Amino acid sequence: MDSDEILYARVKQGDVSAFDELYARHAPRLFAFLRSQVPSAADAEDILHEALLSTLESREVTFDRACFRTWLYRIARNAALNRARSRGRGDAALGNLPEEPPAPAADEQLAHAQRMHALDVAVSRLPGALADVYHLRSSGLSYEEIAEVLNIPLGTIKSRMHQMVGALRQELGTWTAQ
Amino acid sequence: MDCAVIQGDLLAYHFAVAAAEERARIEAHLLECTTCLRAYLALKAHVERTDEAGKGPSEESRLRLRAAVEERFRPTPGRRLRRWLARPIPRYQSLAVAAAVILVAALAPAVSRQLGQRATADATGRVDTSRTTAESLSIY
Repeated sequence: MDSDEILYARVKQGDVSAFDELYARHAPRLFAFLRSQVPSAADAEDILHEALLSTLESREVTFDRACFRTWLYRIARNAALNRARSRGRGDAALGNLPEEPPAPAADEQLAHAQRMHALDVAVSRLPGALADVYHLRSSGLSYEEIAEVLNIPLGTIKSRMHQMVGALRQELGTWTAQ
Repeated sequence: MDCAVIQGDLLAYHFAVAAAEERARIEAHLLECTTCLRAYLALKAHVERTDEAGKGPSEESRLRLRAAVEERFRPTPGRRLRRWLARPIPRYQSLAVAAAVILVAALAPAVSRQLGQRATADATGRVDTSRTTAESLSIY
């Protein structure tokens, strides 16, 4: 299986099948990450489009320090921040409130749906810096990649991860207890 | 082991911020308790959003992006030429070219001198065919 960086080079040579593979690998998780950053699915799709094209076209993208995925998330996050800024943070925050849990079929499903809804609410209340590490880590990025994307030291990421889990635990209380 | 305590620690376990001892305790419990294992797998799927099947980008959006990539990177003669010119040249090739240039520069004066001498010799030994008399063959 070709690495992301090899696929990237193949796309630049005009190989669209390499793009299909890159898209299948990264688009679903990147889209989910973007959904946590912008209010609507349409916005997330636009930014996904913009970020993938920019990553492929940019002359600044080199892989000596950061891998393809790091570049992709860095560019996508910046695009999402720009869009949120241009539309006003209030709208974005409003749009990111988690939806009500769907009506479950059984008691166990109900309990599960409620717990997950509580988790979503707790995540939506995290401060921006902690929400960033939650969403990037949930997208499968390593601590090192998160540090590159956010352009902050690795030690700060580790400390924020602890703070983030602590904040969620505090917010959730005994949500997990049955 | 109290399942409520374990489930309260699952977030820390998932995000790898639990201490080594705590991790070992949770893993040992997950191996024995299917309820907590199910809870952990559900939590993991939710956090990683793998339980959101069908909530990815739309097919239209994928096709639009694919078309844009195809348009942007489709190989054309001009792009092929630019790519060929911009290709990285291996160091040994550059060294070989430099060595060839130095060799040619070093040998050029000697070769040109030799060619000059040969031209002079040719000029002095040339038969003058413009004359019809035997004088033109004075060299002999």
